[in-house]
Amino acid sequence: MSENNKAVVDIDRRVYDIKDVENEQDFYRMEDGFTEDIVRKISEEKHDPEWMREFRLKSLEIYNKLEMPDWGPDTDDLDMNLISSYVRSKSDMKGKWEDVPEDIKNTFERLGIPEAERESLAGVGAQYDSELVYHNVKDEVAAQGVVYTDMESALTGEYSEMVHEYFMKLVPPTDHKYAALHGAVWSGGSFVYVPKGVKVEIPLQSYFRLNAAGAGQFEHTLIIVDEGADLHFIEGCSAPKYNVANLHAGCVELYVKKNARLRYSTIENWSKNMYNLNTKRALVEEGARMEWVSGSFGSHTSYLYPMTILKGDHSNMEYTGITFAGKGQNLDTGAKVIHQGKYTSSMISTKSISKSGGIGTYRSSVTINKEAKHAKTSVSCDSLMLDSISRADTIPGMDIRTNDADVGHEAKIGRISDEAVFYLMSRGLSEEDARALIVSGFANPVSKELPLEYAVEMNNLIKLEMSGG
Amino acid sequence: MSKVLKVNHLPALTYRFLKSNDSEIEIKDIEIKAEKTPVTGELPGGISVKDDATEEDIRKIFKSVNEKIAAKKLDIPGPNGDTMPLNDAQTVRTGMGVEIDSFMQEMNVPVTVISAEEGQKVSQPVMIRYELSDGDCVLGSQVIHAKKDSEITVIMEYVSEPDNGGFLGIQTRLLAEEGAKINLVKVQTISEKMVHFDDIGGVCDDKADIEAINMQLGAGHTWGGCRVTLLGDNCVFNNHTGYLCRHKQGYDMNYVADQMGKKTNSNMVFRGVLLDEAVKTFRGTLDFKAGSAGSVGDEQEDTLLLSPDVINRTMPVILCGEEDVDGRHGASIGQLGDDTLFYMESRGIDEESAKKLMIRARMESIARMIPDEAIIIRIQQYIRTIL
Repeated sequence: MSENNKAVVDIDRRVYDIKDVENEQDFYRMEDGFTEDIVRKISEEKHDPEWMREFRLKSLEIYNKLEMPDWGPDTDDLDMNLISSYVRSKSDMKGKWEDVPEDIKNTFERLGIPEAERESLAGVGAQYDSELVYHNVKDEVAAQGVVYTDMESALTGEYSEMVHEYFMKLVPPTDHKYAALHGAVWSGGSFVYVPKGVKVEIPLQSYFRLNAAGAGQFEHTLIIVDEGADLHFIEGCSAPKYNVANLHAGCVELYVKKNARLRYSTIENWSKNMYNLNTKRALVEEGARMEWVSGSFGSHTSYLYPMTILKGDHSNMEYTGITFAGKGQNLDTGAKVIHQGKYTSSMISTKSISKSGGIGTYRSSVTINKEAKHAKTSVSCDSLMLDSISRADTIPGMDIRTNDADVGHEAKIGRISDEAVFYLMSRGLSEEDARALIVSGFANPVSKELPLEYAVEMNNLIKLEMSGG
Repeated sequence: MSKVLKVNHLPALTYRFLKSNDSEIEIKDIEIKAEKTPVTGELPGGISVKDDATEEDIRKIFKSVNEKIAAKKLDIPGPNGDTMPLNDAQTVRTGMGVEIDSFMQEMNVPVTVISAEEGQKVSQPVMIRYELSDGDCVLGSQVIHAKKDSEITVIMEYVSEPDNGGFLGIQTRLLAEEGAKINLVKVQTISEKMVHFDDIGGVCDDKADIEAINMQLGAGHTWGGCRVTLLGDNCVFNNHTGYLCRHKQGYDMNYVADQMGKKTNSNMVFRGVLLDEAVKTFRGTLDFKAGSAGSVGDEQEDTLLLSPDVINRTMPVILCGEEDVDGRHGASIGQLGDDTLFYMESRGIDEESAKKLMIRARMESIARMIPDEAIIIRIQQYIRTIL
């Protein structure tokens, strides 16, 4: 085995699992549960404008009325009365890394965030529990007029009108139960505005760390890429593992204006006690392009289906995703697309791997409305079963309402071929290494879409899963 | 009587907004006639027909395979949104589900049992013909039982005059014992003023084979379901469905291959055309259960859309709780390609004629598989008339 592969096997997952003790002196923690009183307190804590307080209360009302869907993974073990909606460090958000409190700084240092910022990012936001603790954007990017700030600052500062115009318009609280919960208790997240014609050459990244046991993280990401602009945004997330359930119900709203392009990449590595009930949606206007790259490795339970609305003529989207469901995980992931404009096109390509009793479900929908003449869509979903105690299910749906559309769909479920393993073993690899190599190859269409550092991280995560790490 | 039946449950539920998790049949103010199965012509040798069987009789026929199904321990949980338990009470799981069983029993529909005796391989088909008059509201039920190493072919035709109104509901249950083969053909050309459902459920034991051909060409609204449990090792299910929906016709279908045995093989092909304001919902599921090692499954859907006002919903599902399987689905949905049209036009065929030619070609590619020349000709004539 090569040294390179040895190094991969040696990677220690414990870096994600280090628990930093949060004491009362340094951290404020809201009591558990989701009541009107708690929502009012959060609103007060965050100095919300009046409209936002009303919005939160209305969302809570909707949350209490809506039911959980009957089609997804079981969430019975998620006791909402035992989840704290808001935990924050008593320190303010910092613009300089050296000013971030030592214990929080150590966590992000271990995860390599400041190093990544120095080497390959145009800006970084780091959220610890419910609030951003650090936010910075490179001077040259800021000089182009790019705004990258925390949601709270955007809500009350210079961009407050823009936030009011766009906030939860794409994902209204009525969308589903956890969108409503998000509307009620959201906290943290990032606001990005890329002005017309500006091309941000290197990516921006937000990293979300949920450190507190039994807590929820409800960050809101709002990105507006104006006409002709271009942005790559990366989202990373992790948490240490606890014996109690944690909840992530974030919301991502992306507006891609005329002829703009946005690539949104996610490597999700939440701990395996996390309920990841996240909502992501993009509205794509004329001639614009939305690209999703998504890797789901962590979480106990996931509901994650980024939706793209191809509103403008000649708009297009591409979704490339991989899900690795291991022991104890039920990851229900996929994508949704609505074709509204003429000459729109979409391409969805997913890979799903199930191992050690994990349940991986690919779920999608493609809707082509009557007006979407000359629409084209291609869906391809491949699932790989690595043993006979796991599940891999593929549940795509298509609703086509015009004849002037070209729809292609293919799905495959299978196993690693014995011949391929035999061939690699005949070249000197152990069976375990041969299987790991084949799985990495299976995931290659996704990893090649990621920046190098993240592709390496994804491959490391696959190898860790394969070696039972 | 008035009644609403909830049918065609997708084996694993999905987003509600797709409106495809199930379907409802509203039965309003009609007087149902529960009829014996109209077997026509001379009965081939080696085949027996018994009318007026009760559900208890049917349970006895399926007792041994149902015990075998119950003995298969599935240690792996079902898929998210699993609807399998909804139909646990069925004697034989069918595509449309338990509410059809309950309805049939409530209406005291007599079951006709058509059996091929052990070792008898009968190539001459058993002919069944439902001929509906105006206002007829008919329910029928039959069990086709191919005993060990036998073979039986059953051809069922549903016909009426073009303007007749009415209702036709059929349930056909199949048991192919070890080494047996059932060839089932259904051809439906009833009036567009009629409402129709056709529910099929089957079980294949070791090395058994169920071959189904289904042509759905008439009826104002049709619900069709077919679920075959591939219970034994090395058993096979092949299905070919052709459909043509025009005007405001609706076709709502649910096909499921439950692959339980080792080295089972399912192959489902759906070829259809939607015209005018037709609406179609297709649910097709390959369900590889734990223990179905070495099994393969393939479902292919090819739909031609020939009007801007059609609605096509497609739910191609693959469920898998077994490592050593190979499952595939492919769908191609759209209008006639420019290349095809250009080729036709270069041969002097105008666009309208080219479309008709392609419709006929698609339907005939399925119809040609029917082992009865007279029925093939009737299908061709029917298509020619309605186009």
